[in-house]
Amino acid sequence: MVTTTYHKAGSVLDHSLESLIHRLRGLCDNMEPETFLDHEMVFLLKGQQASPFVLRARRSMDRAGTPWHLRYLGQPEMGDKNRHALVRNCVDIATSENLTDFLMEMGFRMDHEFVAKGHLFRKGIMKIMVYKIFRILVPGNTESTEALSLSYLVELSVVAPAGQDMVSDDMRNFAEQLKPLVHLEKIDPKRLM
Amino acid sequence: MGVTCVSQMPVAEGKNVQQTVELLTRKLEMLGAEKQGTFCVDCETYHTAASTLGSQGQAGKLMYVMHNSEYPLSCFALFENGPCLIADTNFDVLMVKLKGFFQSAKASKIETRGTRYQYCDFLVKVGTVTMGPSARGISVEVEYGPCVVANDCWNLLLEFLQSFLGSHIPGAPAVFGNRHDAVYSPADTMVQYMELFNKIRKQQQVPVSGIR
Repeated sequence: MVTTTYHKAGSVLDHSLESLIHRLRGLCDNMEPETFLDHEMVFLLKGQQASPFVLRARRSMDRAGTPWHLRYLGQPEMGDKNRHALVRNCVDIATSENLTDFLMEMGFRMDHEFVAKGHLFRKGIMKIMVYKIFRILVPGNTESTEALSLSYLVELSVVAPAGQDMVSDDMRNFAEQLKPLVHLEKIDPKRLM
Repeated sequence: MGVTCVSQMPVAEGKNVQQTVELLTRKLEMLGAEKQGTFCVDCETYHTAASTLGSQGQAGKLMYVMHNSEYPLSCFALFENGPCLIADTNFDVLMVKLKGFFQSAKASKIETRGTRYQYCDFLVKVGTVTMGPSARGISVEVEYGPCVVANDCWNLLLEFLQSFLGSHIPGAPAVFGNRHDAVYSPADTMVQYMELFNKIRKQQQVPVSGIR
């Protein structure tokens, strides 16, 4: 099933992390704060088309035996410029551990990889991730990493069936409650290129 | 899943596919096997679109995307002599997104459908292999549930196969290879079906009707 992902992001400096976590614990669903340590690899398949096909393969480094996660993200939907979140089609697939071998056999090549370490919160269908990105110094060796910056990335996302525009309003309302600790905005991926 | 052997049953002399399937299932019922629903294994073939070949400089590879009713929430994707990926059914949705890079080979869909029989610790599935409207052969799958190591139960499986296949017993499946002590997995069954389907595709079409 093709679903839609709604996305907003921002960042906080390392020294503000504790205050943000404290506020999130208060606002979010009552559950034990979850931490995660993931390794993500981004693969490209080049063809005659102008832009290569991108797939993201992600695995947990701290939870043995969990499936790998393969994700396809489509182009941002050009729609309402007033919409508060970035909206893209997405397809999420759970797979066996030989995913990278299989992608290579299909003709994909790894473009880049990183390690993400942080916290995960939920509020209803909204997922909030506060994490630090680590650069992998030697390709394939996740033991040797270095932090990319002195800040944490904060992502607010929802995966829902297409066309549920109220979702981005709910996200805006939630994001308001995180100010001024962090300002979450709709990030235009083209601005980053 | 237990160690499984997938083989092809040749059509009986002077009979057609359907009649041979009936002969087999009758033998199983006489042995005391109990019918337990139906099964289906299907296979779609994709090849790399010409546009993606140039940069890799390699001949187009065939990728098989298969489903097995025994695992309704899963999808199996494999390359011959290559890795077999087990994924959830959203993989089919991804293949639609990838249609610019991977094209479905014309009229390539092949499937086998039939009845499941339980006989003590053995699960037997006799299926009619079809491509489009035509019946092309017969598949026989036998699983010995309690054991997951091929080396430990191949002889027992062979003995059971002999009791209802008579002289048409297969050799040890290639997937057992030299890894006789490895734990058997559903991916091994899908590889056997892929090999069986490829073999049947190459065979001449079996006459559908009439006794010769």
